[in-house]
This record gives sequence, C-alpha cells and structure tokens, in this order.
Amino acid sequence: MAGPGHLGQSARDVELDDSLRDAVRDLILCLADSKRLLGMRYAEWILGAPELEAGIACASMAQDEWGHARLLYALLKDFGADVERIEHGREPGEYCNLAALDAAPESWPELTALNALADTALTIQLEALNASSYLPLRQRVQKLVAEEQFHCAHGAAWLRRLAAGGPAARAAGTAAVRSLMPALLQWFGPESQRATALSRAGVVGALPGDLRDRLLRRVAPWLTDLADPEQLARIAISYDDFDEASRRPRGTSPDAATIARIRGDKNRAFLMD
Amino acid sequence: MDMTVYEVFARKSRGEPLKHIGNLNAPDDELARVYAFQTYDEEKWFDMWVVPRDRMIEVFNSERQPVA
Repeated sequence: MAGPGHLGQSARDVELDDSLRDAVRDLILCLADSKRLLGMRYAEWILGAPELEAGIACASMAQDEWGHARLLYALLKDFGADVERIEHGREPGEYCNLAALDAAPESWPELTALNALADTALTIQLEALNASSYLPLRQRVQKLVAEEQFHCAHGAAWLRRLAAGGPAARAAGTAAVRSLMPALLQWFGPESQRATALSRAGVVGALPGDLRDRLLRRVAPWLTDLADPEQLARIAISYDDFDEASRRPRGTSPDAATIARIRGDKNRAFLMD
Repeated sequence: MDMTVYEVFARKSRGEPLKHIGNLNAPDDELARVYAFQTYDEEKWFDMWVVPRDRMIEVFNSERQPVA
C-alpha cells in the first residue's frame, strides 16, 4: 500500500513520556544547531575554495544545511519551543552544535575533513531516524538524507585528492582527519539510559555504538593513504566531561562572534514579520 | 593537478532530447559529477550527464566541412 498509510505501518507512532520527550527535543536541537553551524562553515569557503567549482559546491551545501536546520528548528514547535528565540535569541552557551564546528576551519583540508566526516556523522544520525516511531521526524528525514548524497561525495572526492596531491597535501589531510575524528566518535554519545530508551521506543533505530561503527565503516574507503581506519576505530572516547543533552564537552561553546553571525544580529533591524 | 573541461547535459523529462546546459572544470570524473550536480541542479532535471570536452568528436564544422 502506498502513501502515508504505508509509513504508518512501518513503525508505530510512539506516545512520548516526559523524559523521552526531552530526549527527542534535545536530539532535534543538536542536529539543527550542528547543521546551522556547518552551513556557516561551508559558506565561509565560497570565496576561498581552491577552485571556482569547489566554491559553488560550498554555496550549494551551505544552502542545503541551512534549509535542513530551519526544517528541524520548526519541529521544536511541537515541544512548546519559541522557534524565533531559538533561531535568533540564544547565547553561545545555549547552542548544542557538534563541538568540532565551534571554530572556523583554517585550511581547505580542515574544511574537507568537516565535509567528508562531520557532515557524514550528522547524516548517519539522520538515517537512524528514517523509520522513527516519532512521526514528524520520520516524515521529513528521508528528504534531508537524499539531499546529503552529494555532500559526502564532494568530501570523499576531496579527501582522495588530498591523498594523491603530494606530501604536503597528504600530511595536511592526515592531520585534519586525526584531529576531527575523536570529537565525531564522542558526538554519538554514551550507551546511556537515555540512548537505550530512545532506541527501545523506536525513535532512533540504533544505539550510539552502532552509529560509531557505521561512521567508521562508511568513511574507511575515503581515507586511503591518509589514516588507518583500524587505528581510528581504537580511539578511546571519554564521557567524563560530556553533557549528554547538548552532546558537547561541558563548559565549551562556540565563540560570541560566530553566534552573532549565526543569529544575524547585524541585520536584525531589517527583519520583518 | 591537470584540469579537464567537462560539458554538462540534462533533460527535463523522460524522452526529451538532452540539452547542453553548461560546462565546468574538474580534475577527474568523480569530482566532475559532484560539481555538475552542485552547480546545475538548481532546476529539477530528470537526469544529468557530463562528458570530457576532448572526448566529443566533431563530425563537420561550421563551414560544413567534414573533419578529418
């Protein structure tokens, strides 16, 4: 049977109790904030990319990420959130983005690592919501995942190009991959009560450890000559200072200048209802 | 790295002839595909193709002279 009825049969629509509600809301906010920041990181390279076509690719990926962020923020209305304040009124310490996006990448290899690995980590988390028992997520996620297809293709192609581009390019690629990967593996979170509850209720179709494995498996073929995938799989992850709700190390945040740009502070006067 | 010029073709719907919609520079086929999508997919195309310009074979020129 086609249409929404078919979707309804693939997973039951879950009644969220209070603790599960908070967990789903936090998950949506983490994804939305990460996409908002990632979009800005792409946009910063529209004029600085090594070739015109790569700059255009950055513009296209930035548009996609901002579109996804907006769509995910809108889902927070169902949790009683003031979406206007969430988009334009929060302080840096309230952001729940992937911590690896806090600082602007300083080089094209660093941007490439974000593109290939961080964007893919977000997509793997989204894919685990494809058959979510929470209907609003399930209805939207497939479109977002489809639009991500060429993001990882761009990142993967550029990782391979760095690997083939001589000793300096290869070394920069290796350094970027090695410094980014621990934060991505940590981002999926601990195997906690909350993670288990989300999985048991069918909201998320996998546990954090499965998502880490999926990330490692997916990126391994792109890392030829840059990093040893088995070595990456052995990275020790600590959750001592990790805040599970925001999925960030405690006491860290993006800087004020980044958030002022994300919120659009300079142009607030032109915002119309 | 050596760059190749690729010509980009697309069509709006099944059965329509392919239309030339532009070109791009890329170092290899893999990035040519990605760049074509990210540069030219603003419109909703049915399908899209790239071909290296130097693999296009001229049959006759603008003076209608056959090309040897």
